[in-house]
Amino acid sequence: MGKARTNIGDLERSVMEVLWATPDGGSRTVREVHAELAGERDIAYTTVMTVMDRLARKEMVHQERDGRAYRYRARGSRGEMTAELMRDTLEEFSSHDRQTALAAFVEDASAEDVEALRAALARLDGA
Amino acid sequence: MTPLVLAVLAVLFAGPVPAALARLPVVRRTPVAALVLWQSVAAAAVLAALGAGLALVTHHAWTGTSGLTTWLVAGTSLGVTLLVAARLLWSAHRVGTSLRAIRRRHSAQLDLVARAGGRVHIIEHEVPVAYCIPGFGRQRIVVSEGARGRLSPDELDAVLEHERAHLRARHDLVLEAFSALREAFPRWVSSDAALREVRLLVEVLADRVAARTSGRQALGRALVQLAEGRAPEAALGAGGNGLLTRVELLADTRPRPLQAAALCLLALGVLVLPTAFVVVPWLTALLP
Repeated sequence: MGKARTNIGDLERSVMEVLWATPDGGSRTVREVHAELAGERDIAYTTVMTVMDRLARKEMVHQERDGRAYRYRARGSRGEMTAELMRDTLEEFSSHDRQTALAAFVEDASAEDVEALRAALARLDGA
Repeated sequence: MTPLVLAVLAVLFAGPVPAALARLPVVRRTPVAALVLWQSVAAAAVLAALGAGLALVTHHAWTGTSGLTTWLVAGTSLGVTLLVAARLLWSAHRVGTSLRAIRRRHSAQLDLVARAGGRVHIIEHEVPVAYCIPGFGRQRIVVSEGARGRLSPDELDAVLEHERAHLRARHDLVLEAFSALREAFPRWVSSDAALREVRLLVEVLADRVAARTSGRQALGRALVQLAEGRAPEAALGAGGNGLLTRVELLADTRPRPLQAAALCLLALGVLVLPTAFVVVPWLTALLP
C-alpha cells in the first residue's frame, strides 16, 4: 500500500519533469511522454495516461483537445509553481482571523516585534 | 427555574468567562491544563445553551400546562435550540471541508515541486518558512531552503521537533473545533479570544516539547531567525506579539502541579455544572 502510493507520487513527478523540460511551455501528448519515460523504465502506456489524467484532475497540468488526442501542459514552470506555492503559503499564514490550514512555525512579525523578540531572547540566554 | 439557570450559565460560559480567562496570562504557564479548561468552558457553553432550550420544552411537556402562551414559549425555545445545534454542525462541516480542501491541494502541488529530505519536504525558495500540513492522511513537514540557510543544525532540529509535536498531538483538531465555534457564533460570544488563546497554547505546548529535546536557546534563536527573515513581507500591524509571549514563556518552564491541578478541577466543575442542571430535572421527573 505504502509502496504503491510512493510509486504513483514518483510517476507524477517524472511526468511533470518531462513536461517541465518541454521547451517554451509547450504541450505533449501521452504518447510522447510515454516514449520519453519508457526509455528509462518499464512502464505501460495506460499507466502514463492514468497518471496524466490524475494530474489534470488535480489541476497541476492543463489538458487540451487536439484532434483525437489530448495534449498536456504543466500549469507553470517548476520555478513558477514553487513561487505560487510559496505565495499561497504566506497568504495562509497571514490570515489571522481564522484557523490556517497550514501550521506555521512563526507568524508574521513587524520590525518592532523582531526588536522585542531579540531582547526577550537575550534575557533567555542570560537566564 | 432550570431553563433560566442554564440560560444564565450559557451566557456566562460564552461571554464573560472566556473573556476573563483570556486576560489571565498566568494560566499559560500550565498549557495542558489551560487547554483542558478552554475546551471544557466551550463545551459547557454549548451544553448549557442546548440544555436551556430543551429544559424549557420538557418542563412544559411534563407539567402538562396548556394554553397558547405555553405552546408559543415551548415552540420558540425548541426552535432556538435546533437553530443553535444546526449552526454548530453546519459550521463544523464548512470549516472541516474547507481546511481539508486547502490541505489536499497544497499537498498535491508540494509533492510535485518539493524535494524530499528524509521525512521533511524542502521547497526551493529563499523566503524562510517552516510549517506542517496536518491531517488524517499523509502529514507533511515543510521547510524552505531560505529557512535551512538561516538556521544552524540545532535550531533546525528544534523547528522540526516543534512541528512533529503539532502533528503527533493533533493540535489541528482542537483548533478546528474552536474555529467551528467561532464560525458559528462570531458575535456576542468571546469566540475570537478563545481561538486566539487556544492557538497560542498549542504553540506553547509544541515549543515545550522542542525545548526539552533541542534546548530552549536553540528554539528561541530559531523563532527569532525565522520571524526576522519574514519581517519584510509581513503585513503592517500583523499580530506578532504571540511570538514575544512564546519566547517569554520559554524562560520559565518549571512544572506547576498545583496550578495545573486547580485548573483541571475547575474544568471538571465547569462541565459538571450544566450537566447536572440538564440531567437532574429529568431524573426527578422520571422517578415517582
